[in-house]
Amino acid sequence: MKIRCIVNGEQTDLETAPDRRVVDLLREDLGLCGTKEACGSGECGACTILVDGESRLSCLMIAAQLEGKEIVTIEGFSKEHLHPIQEAFIVHGAVQCGFCTPGMVLAAADLLKRNPAPDRHEIRRAISGNLCRCTGYQKIVDAIESLARAEEESDE
Amino acid sequence: MKKLHDAHGATGIPDEKGEGHFHTKSDLPVPVGSDLFRADAYGKVTGRERYAADEYPAGLVYAGVVRSPHPHARILAIDTTGALACPGVIAVLTGGDIRGTNRTGLPEMDQPVLADTKVRFTGDPVVLVVAEDRELLRQAMAAVKVTYEPLPAVFDPDPALAKGAPVLHENRKEGNLLFSGVIAKGDADFAFSECAAVREGIFSLPRQEHAYLETETGVAKVDGDGVLEMIVSTQSPFRDSREIAAALGIPPEKVRVIAPYLGGAFGGKDGITVQGHLGLAALHSGGRPVKIWNSREESFVSSTKRHPGRVSLKLGCTKDGTLHALSCRLIFDTGAYAGLGGPVAVYGMGHAAGVYRVAHSRVEGMNVYTNNPPSGAFRGFGIPQVIAALEQVVDMLAESIGMDPLEFRLKNAIRVGDETGLGIRMSNSADIVTCLEKARDHPLWTGRDEWIRQAPDYKRRGVGIATGVLGIGYGPVIPDIASAKLELLTDGRFRIYAGVADMGQGNNSANIHIAGDILCQSPDRFELVQPDTFRCLNSSSSAASRTTYSYGNALILAAGVLKERILDKVAQLHPLFRRENLILVPGAVRHTPDGSDIALHTIAEAMQEADRVATATWTAPVNRQQLAVAPDVKMYGFPHLAYTFTTHLTRVEIDEITGAVAVDAYLAWTDAGRIMNPHVYEQQIQGGVIQGMGYALWEDFRVTEGAVVTKNLSTYILPTSMDVPDILSVPVETYEESGPFGMKGVGEIGIVAALPCIANAVAGAIGSRIYDAPLTPERILTALRRAA
Amino acid sequence: MSEVALPASLEEVYAIRKREPGAAVLAGGTDLLVRMRADGKKPPVLIGLERIPGLSGIAIQDGVVRIGPMVTHQNLLDSPVIRKHLAVMHEAAQVLGSPPIRHMGTIGGNICTASPAGDLLPALYVLDAEVEISSPAKKRVVPIATFITGPGRTILTGQEILTGIRIPIPDPGYQGFYRKVGQRRALAISIVSMAALLMVSPDKTVRSARFAWGSVGPVVMRFPDVESSFAGRTFGPALLADVGRQYSERIQPISDIRASASYRKMVAAGLPLKILEQ
Repeated sequence: MKIRCIVNGEQTDLETAPDRRVVDLLREDLGLCGTKEACGSGECGACTILVDGESRLSCLMIAAQLEGKEIVTIEGFSKEHLHPIQEAFIVHGAVQCGFCTPGMVLAAADLLKRNPAPDRHEIRRAISGNLCRCTGYQKIVDAIESLARAEEESDE
Repeated sequence: MKKLHDAHGATGIPDEKGEGHFHTKSDLPVPVGSDLFRADAYGKVTGRERYAADEYPAGLVYAGVVRSPHPHARILAIDTTGALACPGVIAVLTGGDIRGTNRTGLPEMDQPVLADTKVRFTGDPVVLVVAEDRELLRQAMAAVKVTYEPLPAVFDPDPALAKGAPVLHENRKEGNLLFSGVIAKGDADFAFSECAAVREGIFSLPRQEHAYLETETGVAKVDGDGVLEMIVSTQSPFRDSREIAAALGIPPEKVRVIAPYLGGAFGGKDGITVQGHLGLAALHSGGRPVKIWNSREESFVSSTKRHPGRVSLKLGCTKDGTLHALSCRLIFDTGAYAGLGGPVAVYGMGHAAGVYRVAHSRVEGMNVYTNNPPSGAFRGFGIPQVIAALEQVVDMLAESIGMDPLEFRLKNAIRVGDETGLGIRMSNSADIVTCLEKARDHPLWTGRDEWIRQAPDYKRRGVGIATGVLGIGYGPVIPDIASAKLELLTDGRFRIYAGVADMGQGNNSANIHIAGDILCQSPDRFELVQPDTFRCLNSSSSAASRTTYSYGNALILAAGVLKERILDKVAQLHPLFRRENLILVPGAVRHTPDGSDIALHTIAEAMQEADRVATATWTAPVNRQQLAVAPDVKMYGFPHLAYTFTTHLTRVEIDEITGAVAVDAYLAWTDAGRIMNPHVYEQQIQGGVIQGMGYALWEDFRVTEGAVVTKNLSTYILPTSMDVPDILSVPVETYEESGPFGMKGVGEIGIVAALPCIANAVAGAIGSRIYDAPLTPERILTALRRAA
Repeated sequence: MSEVALPASLEEVYAIRKREPGAAVLAGGTDLLVRMRADGKKPPVLIGLERIPGLSGIAIQDGVVRIGPMVTHQNLLDSPVIRKHLAVMHEAAQVLGSPPIRHMGTIGGNICTASPAGDLLPALYVLDAEVEISSPAKKRVVPIATFITGPGRTILTGQEILTGIRIPIPDPGYQGFYRKVGQRRALAISIVSMAALLMVSPDKTVRSARFAWGSVGPVVMRFPDVESSFAGRTFGPALLADVGRQYSERIQPISDIRASASYRKMVAAGLPLKILEQ
């Protein structure tokens, strides 16, 4: 099947089996290995990407569903400079083994688009679909919360 | 043909736009003790960091293993003809195709790469298939036919030890007993009769699954020179290369193993996982690179778990609460293969007295083969299991004499110079007392009764404490040696050849931190080569909380050597400068009297290549006490020298309707020596505590009749962000003489006390104790209803 | 490999299903694709519904809320109509899965998967929801309790497809409650779930009550005789405890990997008390 979509801001033409998992297509055909797989069944969030701006699990999407969509992976999340979410993750020590990190960053992006100034409970809820085995989540919450505060400060 | 390692770039390099990862935007060094952002964070937040799972070399083929459906069976016949006839199949291999020993495992090599005469657990690998792609691989694997003669099986240590039990390894005269040992001091049996109070409990500990997000994976290729090169998610690249060589019959110098950043490991990748299969496949793939990446389901079936078992512990004290007698019997289930079962049992035994002085003790430990999936190393390494029992019985004993549980612990807590309940003299840094005192004075402890009284309707509240201790390193016999290699590059920057894999704990960053401190350079001036058995020096595995402790010490030496050579060179090039007036400054050597700087790249260009590379080896000191234990107990790791200590405190609220536990607050006071990098220290404590919380409340890896019941992450319950609270980590700094910059490894101590801390809080809340972990809502609700 | 069709009309869906009876309907994929992986089975054709107009959308007409089957759980959460008029559905959607699963999963999928633990189902049952089934020949509307016949089983036959959900807006005197018990607070399959609608007078007399229970039977359970026994009684902990006890005795849950039957019964006995918890 021929599929045309936008990946990380670029018009992309693909030819692949229509039922190919999007996570495989991204990693193997497009070389975008920032999107990870850790369970293949929607239980861990490591495969999170943005589809038309909304976070989705690429292990539970098939290629045919990409037609006409705009996909953002972690590689396309920042262009010339790090996105503030990425900077916050670095600065707050939110990265250990890093395998959950791309999914967490994109989950955070989805959250902050819907709710620019979430509290810690809302942050925990927003990343509840992303498992982390290393950090215990706390510094990830700290990192995202710092952006909520920055948002509040910029409103004042 | 392009070598695999060319496709895998070194990490830690500032990006092409010159943007450093460290955001200091300055050239200044960051001293050890100050926060330094992790070197690997930049690559990981941008998705650029290449894990073993991310390797897709050109011409890739895939390998997979057909596994035994039986827990115990003889292999009668293997029919590979159907598989060989499948499209896209490159090789179908059995144990008979293996030229070497076909055995891996440490310290005992009893695990085949591919089963030869029999299979010993459901999931034991039998046939290796190599095919063009994953779908063709799946079809070919389904066409393999193996004929088995099922044998009687055992699934628990007790029946496995019974007379007439089916024996897994028939050549063993001890039958299914892998290990048994004793550590004793004085006369515990008699001493109990002298106690005013005695309490005991039998605790059952579950299997825990590491559930690292990156499952077992790697790529391997044999190049034109016959070198087997492998990039694999492993904690032990150097040991792996020797094991693979022996198992597959390859000269060791022709095996190259590279360990990129691991997507988590926690002990589950400390040894052979996919390496044997990758190597064998690569030997038969006609030079094409082979990949294995286990699905989560296959990881669950094939990878090791924390040793489950039973710990019986009895503790007695005098009228005034002085601990007088301890007896402990642990029996662990090592599963089908030995693995690290002996050491795990000994580490558990060796910590049975915890942080206390006890006059008399007797600890017996056993590890037993069963037809269950093999158990292995997991953060804490036998110690969480034993501390789980000890710290609960301590609470029970304190209560029986009407003494406050924290005061009871303080009364018996060791100080430097004391002898522990097992006779270990605490010669090195040890400040459990301050940890306990801070807990005692904390408002969450002093205000606990009031907080408990304020429990809302249909909720019960409890506050619990527990202490933990963990000896770092390998013990007195197995050498803990690290060799650092550090190079001054011709452009004036530095390259560290990491010897120990970084599984997420940040030791690569610590290396940069250490070298930068000694050489007075900003972190951006460093690049790092991931452990590579051809380029780096063997520094043993990423385990036992010794990664920065050992490699860091070696790196301090190597940096010192390199510093001297650099300054010597400048003195040689500038005869008018006095050597003692030369210092390293960012990017240069400075002649202090006149402030003139000579750029590092200028000096480097003037140096011989051999002089620009400094190496140094460091061997960990060991505890030289002569304790009366059997040689194998000593060898497996008793006693240790440097210990880490912790006190945990938690507040829990239990839902009387569902039995669910909500952890309302959690504090951890920790002595892990000096802090090198404050936020990284916190990372380890927070992560360890939450993993311990999982062990306490949710994680139950279930195996029934040898078959995995909790097959994936939908049924093996890991805590999500909504299930756990913030952890307050309060460091209690000491100075550890033997550690780099006074530190001790902090990677494991966080997990050790979590289960008993929560169990003690729950017991207080519901008025009865649950002896089986995890403390699931079902167990708690059943206990509540029973009490009602 | 499965073929994938993304038809633009229901007629095309019917045609594909006529040609290929083994075809599977793909909505959000959060159940189907997981099941396909677990079973190792690939249907010959996957029919994605995302391009068919008229299957999304939430609208009120004549006191009935009409929800398209392709409405996602996130759409439900974002909808002021659902929040205002069908609050118990809003609460159910809150505890389903996780954020990305809520972005992908659909109400139609949740209904047609017909898991005994389906999170929206107790809310739909307690609201007396109806579903609209379309086929080439006709449309029919059936109550949800008729639509789902057993674990994973619905009355859909032949080329029939779920094309709408209709929920009469309850009397504004009703308050809705949804309580879910799982092994953890997110990404949890329900062990016991309860949706309730209660109408209580200012003097605390219960005028009407409905309770629907999930994960305690092959389908969502309601017991009309227990419900009618509420009327006239005083709302409060004693009533709720009694209600819980009655339901606990009536349900016949199974033991499975997540929970035993006895645990489910113990929880059900107390769960109505959680209505008092806000």
